[in-house]
Order: sequence, then structure tokens, then C-alpha cells
Amino acid sequence: MTKFSRKRLLVTAAPLVAAGPLARVAFADAEHSATHEGHDHAHAALGHAAMIGADVPSIERSAAIDALLTPPPALPHRPGRVREYELVARDVDLEVAQGVTYPAWTYNGTAPGPVIRATEDDLLRVRFVNGGGHPHTIHFHGIHPATMDGVFEIVQPGGSFTYEFPARPWGMHLYHCHATPLKKHIHKGLYGAFIIDPPKPRKPAQELVMVMNAFDTDGDGENNFYAVNGPAFYYARHPIRVSRSQTVRIYLANLTEFDLINSFHLHGDFFRYYHTGRDELVEYTDTVVLAQGERGILEIDFANTGHFMFHAHQSEFAELGWMGFFEVVD
Amino acid sequence: MTTLAERSGAGWRLWALVPLLLLVGVVALFAATGGSVLDLLGRTPPPADEFDVRRVEFKPGEIRVRVTNPQQEDLTIAQVTVDDAIVPYHLDGNQTLSRLRSATIVIPFAWVEDEPIAVGVTSSTGIQTTHEIAAAVETPEPSGRGVLGFGLIGLLVGVVPVALGLLWLPSLRRARPEWLAAFMAMTAGLLAFLAVEALSEAFQLQAGLPSALGGAGVVLLGFALSYLTLTFLSHRLAALALLVAIGIGLHNFGEGLAIGTSFAFGELALGTFLIVGFMIHNITEGLGIATAATEERKVSLARLAALALIAGAPAILGAWLGGYVRNDVIGVIFFAAAAGAAFEVVVEVGRWLRERAPGGLTSGWTLGGFLAGITIMYVTGLLAA
Repeated sequence: MTKFSRKRLLVTAAPLVAAGPLARVAFADAEHSATHEGHDHAHAALGHAAMIGADVPSIERSAAIDALLTPPPALPHRPGRVREYELVARDVDLEVAQGVTYPAWTYNGTAPGPVIRATEDDLLRVRFVNGGGHPHTIHFHGIHPATMDGVFEIVQPGGSFTYEFPARPWGMHLYHCHATPLKKHIHKGLYGAFIIDPPKPRKPAQELVMVMNAFDTDGDGENNFYAVNGPAFYYARHPIRVSRSQTVRIYLANLTEFDLINSFHLHGDFFRYYHTGRDELVEYTDTVVLAQGERGILEIDFANTGHFMFHAHQSEFAELGWMGFFEVVD
Repeated sequence: MTTLAERSGAGWRLWALVPLLLLVGVVALFAATGGSVLDLLGRTPPPADEFDVRRVEFKPGEIRVRVTNPQQEDLTIAQVTVDDAIVPYHLDGNQTLSRLRSATIVIPFAWVEDEPIAVGVTSSTGIQTTHEIAAAVETPEPSGRGVLGFGLIGLLVGVVPVALGLLWLPSLRRARPEWLAAFMAMTAGLLAFLAVEALSEAFQLQAGLPSALGGAGVVLLGFALSYLTLTFLSHRLAALALLVAIGIGLHNFGEGLAIGTSFAFGELALGTFLIVGFMIHNITEGLGIATAATEERKVSLARLAALALIAGAPAILGAWLGGYVRNDVIGVIFFAAAAGAAFEVVVEVGRWLRERAPGGLTSGWTLGGFLAGITIMYVTGLLAA
């Protein structure tokens, strides 16, 4: 960029005082253009509020992404029942924002991976196959034997391991890879939601899963894109349709790397927030803050119909993709 | 037995073609199988995938970003951010740019006058190039008023002070030969200072250019071009005053370019104070030309006016070009050319001093004058730093 390396002044300017008025003429044009520019060109600005629908720079509708939003159904309490899942680690190029491809590490081809759900006292059997190019594991949050913790049994590429333990305690949990370097294995995409239903079933609701995540696509240790369940602005371009007549229950987890906290803010309504998806700590609010690895359950009874925004209340995250809409209908 | 030396002249000319033909053959062979040769060395690293942001323009409710692909591999524009927020945009040009191709990203945006702003362009591979602007200022459109404004700035910092400096000619004519030599040496010192500054400016600008546009050698190209052209002219024109005027004119072109660019892109708050500073500085350039003009027995008013225009008017052209075009490649070439011209004139003045000055190049008058020229430039530079 051209800059002045050579600005020189001398203070004896007697013959040049006459230059003043001339200079004024020279700058009149510049001053004019500088002052007429004001605050009145908002018409052309596509701000936060206008970012809805087809104009939003996000990806086309994707069945794989849509599948992540709805958890498998809850099953009644029956101790000892075996619940089987298979997770395959795969290196996949994901479109994490419109037109931006990221070489992700995934469980079953998406980041986040599939929702794992069990009822308390089910026997969870998760077969893990490492089809990726690096050693991986699955580390589940919850109560289980040390040998099932995804810390010691590193699964080499081409190898497999079956995690088997009783599902407990009930609540909202998560899973992620625990191979080192940990930060790399998590931010590359190896994480997902893990729901354990209580023995006494929760009341019926429209159930959604939202895993807050982010992608550092240029490897500088700072996230370039934020979202829930994958691509930036996905639910701004494709709003989530819900009914006002039934409670909306959101299983929310924070798996954002690099940033210490993330948050969820709902427009136009309040929700009950169950910390870690349990009953011990409940609050009524419209904004919750989650540290890395923190999670909980939100229950919303929408009072009104229409489009209601939800987003991280860190404006930066919201404007880098972590923003969406509920389309509430009767 | 015949040796190569005994072949006919025509044969020799044909022989000269042989290396070229063989080169074509080897290149073709490598291109056909080149991939496998490089495979022996292992995988090549991925491309940097960074854009070269050529210019950012601010219009009412709109930001226009001109980007170029500086690398061999194709580069695709995927996402655009303003101050770390993803924004919708449309493109004037292709989404995917091949080598050295450009496109303009048009962003509807209510930018805030005079505040810093950062524009980011993210490639399809997720690499973000961020370009920061110190203060958002509406980019001037070429208009009658604007052209007049930049023209007047050029006139004020270029032609006017040089013309005023030339008015010292009658006084210089009556000066003792020692003093004249000192002033001439001062002119050389002044030009040497300008040359070093212009050269540094050229290298700095060049360092910011994408590597696809060549290395620092382009500075030497611009330098040599003007130095050798002036050398060629100096042995035919003979008039030292004209040479000094040309050297200073090239320098003032660069100065006008820098003023116009900085002003148009919000990098410089041009005020009356700064303009007056430039005028005071440039009056010494007029003094330099006047000193050289004492060589000529009789100088007509028309000739003086011509010298003032040659030395000063390029500032007007530079201001226009810088204000409306902004091209850093042109900037590099002209700063390098200004340095080359200034150095050439230093050499010419040195020759004059060796032949005409009482005591030649090593007299106290000459050495003191040269040092004084550099010192004046340095001190005035400090005042405005």
C-alpha cells in the first residue's frame, strides 16, 4: 500500500501564504463528498434480521444434515435391553459453509456424528470401526468402567473396538474422540450428542437435537464458521418448522473448540432449561451459556406463531453462521 | 577433418538455433511426463489459496472489493465477511479465478464513515484473506470537480514551488563561483536523498505485490530504464538544467501518485498544513534547476516556464492517476524510475562539479553543499514525520 515515507515540512512559509485559498478550492470537492455520506443508505444493507430464506449464503437442503436434527425415539424403561450402534470414523470433505469445503474427520460422514440414544439401564453396545487415516477413539460422558472410557484403547486406522456398558445416569450427554492431540481430533469433527432417557418417560414433545459446533478452516486456531449441526446458517436458509400446540424439546450440547463458551438465545419467547438434562437445576430464561462440553435440555412452549430467531448471543458467532429460525405454526 | 570453426556463416546461424530447438524438445518431453518426475520428490504442498486484494472502494450503501488470484492454481471465491461477519454479495466477474485473473465482489453494506473496517474473502478451501482499511471514506468518482481538485493539488505541490524557486536565477547569476558550486552540490545532495527515498518506496510497494508479478528485479528494471534513458539524453541534450528538470519531474510524478492514492483511499488526511509543507520542500527543487540554469548564458522566460512545467506538471498527472486508478505495479515502476533519474542527474551534476567547480569535487564548498542538501531534506522530513 502506498504510504507517505516522505512528508517534509519547513516552517518558513512567507511567500506561500497565498496558497491557502487555492488549497481550499482544491479540497472543496473532497469535503463535499465526505459530508453527504451519512446514515441514510440502510436500504441496501442486508443485516442480521434480513438473513432468512433463499438469500442466505448457506448450503442446499441436505438429508444427512436434516437427519441429525431429529433424535431416534425414546424407548420405555426395560433394564438389560441391548441397544446397538455402529460408528465408523471417516475422513470426509464437508461443505461447512456455502462453497467452502473442509477436510473433516467424522463419525459416519457428518460433523456432528449421529445421535446415540438409550434409556437408563439399557446395555449400550457401540461398535467403532476406524476407517479414517489417524488413530481415534470414542469417549462417552456418563458412568462406565475405566476400560470403556475411550482413553486407553486407541483404535488404529483399519481397527475396531466395541464399547459396552450400561447407560447411566439419565440426562443429556455427549461423546467425542479422545485421541491426542485432543483439540485437533475434536475440532476436526469427531463428536456427537448422547441422550440417556430417564426411567420415567419425559412428556411427549417435538424433539430436536442441536450440537453447537464450529470450524477453523484456515488452521490458525480461530474458528471461521459457527453453526449448530454442521454448516453455517443452515437453519437460517431452511427454518425449522415446529407446532405451537406442543412443547418443543431441544437437546443442546456445546462442542465448539477454541472458544471457551458458546450460548443459545431464543427470540420472542422463554424456555425451561434443564442443566445436563436433569431436574436438579432448572431455570426459566431466554439465554443460556455453555462451556466446552456443557449440555442441557430446553423446553419451549411457543406463545406465538411466526418466525423466531435463535442464535448464539455472542454476536460474532451469530454473524459467522450460528443463527437460525423457528417457523412456528398452529 | 573440418572443425566447427570452419563451417560457413550460414551454418553458424543455424547452429545458434539448435539449443533453442533442443530446449523446446526437452520442455515438451518434461510436460508430457513431468508429473511422474515430480512424483519422485513426494507430494507437493497445497497452494496458499490467498487472494490478493487489489483495491477496496466505498460507495453509498456498497463496498466493492477487487481481488486477484496471485497463484498458479485456480482460486474460488466462496464466502465474504465484513468485520468478521458473513455477508451476502454478488460478483462482477467469475467465481473461480485462474492465474492473475480478477473479479469484483460487490457487497451491499451500510458502512460507517471514517471508521476502520476489515474485509475478508474466504476461498472454497476455507482460507481467509483479510484486508484492513484504516478508515472508510467514500471513493471519489471521476468528476469535473474532482479532476480540478486533484489537478490543483498537483499544481500547488509541483509547478508553483518549482516556478518560485526558479526566480532565484538572477541572484544565483551574481553569486561567486564558490557559492554557485556549493548550491550545485546541494542540488546533487537533494537529488541523492530523493533517489534513496524513491528507491525505498519502490521496494516497499514491490514487497506487497503478489509473487506472480515478479520479484524485486522489477525495481531494477524501472531504475535502469530511466537511468539509461537519461544517460542517453544527457550526451545529446547537453543542457544540465533540462536534465535536472526531468529528474525532478519524474520524482514529482511519484509524489503526485502517492498523494492522489493516499487521499483517494482514506490513508492521508490532506490538510493545508501538509500541502504547504510539500510546497516549501519543492521550492528547493526550483533552486536546484535554477542553479543548473546559470550554465546557460541567457535563459528566456519561455524556457524557464518550460523547465517549471517539466519539473512540476508531472505531479498533476500523478495525482490524477493515483486518485482514480491506483495500481501498485505502476507505482513500483514510477518510484523506481524516479530513483534512476535522480541518480543519473546526481552523476551529471558531479561531472559538472568536477569540471567547473573551483577546487573540483573535493573542495569544501562542494562537499559541504552536498551534505547540506541531504541534511535539509532529512530535517524537513523529520518535521513532518
